[in-house]
Amino acid sequence: MTIKSIHGCIGCGECVQSCPCDVIRLDPSSGKAVIAYPEDCQICHLCRLYCPVDAIEMSPEKTLPVITPWG
Amino acid sequence: MSKSDRQDGPSRRQFLALGGAASGLAAMGLSAGWAENRPSVDAATVAGSEHETDVLVIGGGMAGLFAAVKAHDAGARVLLVSKGRLGASGQTPFAKGFFAYDAARESLSIDDFVARVSRSALGTNNESYTRQLAEHSLDRARELKAWGFFDQVLANRPFLKPITARDIPLMERVMITHLIKQEGRIAGAAGFRLDSAETVLFRARAVVLCTGAGGFKPNGFPVCDLTHDGSIMAYRIGAKITGKEWNDGHFTRADNPAACFDNWGDMFERIPGTTGIEVHHDLGVESNYVAYETGNPLPGGPPGSVGGRKTSGGPVTPQEFQRRAGGPGGPGEGGPGSGSRRDGPPPPPDDGRKPAGGAPDFAMNASQMGGASAGMSIHKSEGLVPMDARCNSTIPGLLAAGDALGSHMAGGIYTQIGSSLAGSAVQGAIAGEEAAGYAARSEQARITPARRDGILAEILAPLKREAGYGPAWVTQTLQGVMIPNFVLYIKKESLMRAALAYVEELRDHHAPMLRAADMHELRLAFETRNMILSAEMKLRASLKRTESRCSHYRTDHPETDDANWRAWINILQGADGQMVLEKQPFGSWPDQS
Repeated sequence: MTIKSIHGCIGCGECVQSCPCDVIRLDPSSGKAVIAYPEDCQICHLCRLYCPVDAIEMSPEKTLPVITPWG
Repeated sequence: MSKSDRQDGPSRRQFLALGGAASGLAAMGLSAGWAENRPSVDAATVAGSEHETDVLVIGGGMAGLFAAVKAHDAGARVLLVSKGRLGASGQTPFAKGFFAYDAARESLSIDDFVARVSRSALGTNNESYTRQLAEHSLDRARELKAWGFFDQVLANRPFLKPITARDIPLMERVMITHLIKQEGRIAGAAGFRLDSAETVLFRARAVVLCTGAGGFKPNGFPVCDLTHDGSIMAYRIGAKITGKEWNDGHFTRADNPAACFDNWGDMFERIPGTTGIEVHHDLGVESNYVAYETGNPLPGGPPGSVGGRKTSGGPVTPQEFQRRAGGPGGPGEGGPGSGSRRDGPPPPPDDGRKPAGGAPDFAMNASQMGGASAGMSIHKSEGLVPMDARCNSTIPGLLAAGDALGSHMAGGIYTQIGSSLAGSAVQGAIAGEEAAGYAARSEQARITPARRDGILAEILAPLKREAGYGPAWVTQTLQGVMIPNFVLYIKKESLMRAALAYVEELRDHHAPMLRAADMHELRLAFETRNMILSAEMKLRASLKRTESRCSHYRTDHPETDDANWRAWINILQGADGQMVLEKQPFGSWPDQS
């Protein structure tokens, strides 16, 4: 899941700006953060660390197959 | 950058449809290959904006911060543009150690420090840049301290302090795809916004690339937003690129290898600090060799042990720099089991003190998975070839600093901890001053309307394709070709030639047919194109270097060959568009011709 869930978002946009991989966007209707591109999450937690209300829960698992050198 | 930008995104209906499609494919574990393009952004209605400045700084990490500040302080009008957020993109957010040489405290002279680095790096370092690091690092550390950098976990606010105080315009979440050269010198750059359907074009007298390095969007290292954008753009307008054969040897855990945060313990939440000046020979491909010979994953173990396994042969660490724990002579000394791994990515703090918050314990116990940073060279060893010690590239008005500059500050191996972050600060400051000086004595080169229109058409092309290859699928294909241990790390001619055939196919028949449905995927399309060219560079440079040295290891040429290879490899685009490779002897600067 990478970013697992967002609960209690106040719509400040900190996570949108702080995500290096552009995974999160603000929903134009609700103004709240949503996980728009989960497959691009690098699981660095910057979004969670910048979130002022601790709304983001993370998971260590990727949504795409993980290619590593040692298999 | 502003709320108004964000509100220009796709409609809710489009947004949900996109998210649903992405989730569905992700659930299958696959990205779509060739498919119809269903853009949510109408390429025909994409807006365009144009900006003018003296010095354009591209990249919002440590190098970009200092380049912008010092160019401003030298009297230039500066504009800072970043693909992500200031201090929160690239590798800067994760680097917690800052090398600082204090002449009043150190018993080792700068001359002796440089000489020791050169012995560890087997001559691969550029001594001018090694010396510069030592001479300037303490001044940069003091400035950072004044801005509050060493008082926090997240770098955005401290980085904003000097930018805001100087009123330097900052454009975030803008991807630059093109550098523009006219009349034989730099004229500007172009790209697009992520948050609105808008292209951006910059006219600038000087451009400083602070775009970092990159990888193949690998798993387990926070480098997935870096795809060698600066090097590839510069290569396309005639700059020389170096250092592509080196390999960064950071690794991750066997369990959930993609989980960067989890695998670096509390590193990412640590307050930055300064480091000592000890010289090492770390984080090459020693553990990759052990895994290649004995299987994987490697069990965890104390620093230097590489899981306690021993093999014969493999990459050689100079005796002076062998770690005690791993036993003499074997591959393993200074590998990713050494102190640096415990301390985290981009070379981390370790001055012998236990870091605030406690050291992460993962490294001692967890099984290891190599190649976390696949596609990245040693910090500061790959990027634009410098013409001099002032960060000038081979193109007038184009400079680079930090990981975008192939300064070979430390050489083809990690020789000191914390120097990556400090080197970016030191080089950024010098590049900023130098760019301001260049801008003051140069006229703005004119960008012809035809050139501008051609570039904007190239930027929007993936959005306009009715069908094409999905960037994520092409990236996965590239990863499958390049990332295996027996291709990227433990090299031999046959496998590299096989990989090169794949990469050429991706270059010629996939990169030109990448599709993009929105601005996010447009970014992925250009990143994918850049990674393909970087892969080609890595293979060609690795094939050319018919020896083993530092983090470049070949089973068919396992020995270091000082008679022929005391030289860096530079790559440039030939007249026919093909890559041309040339040697530049260690300790020399490029020919001016």
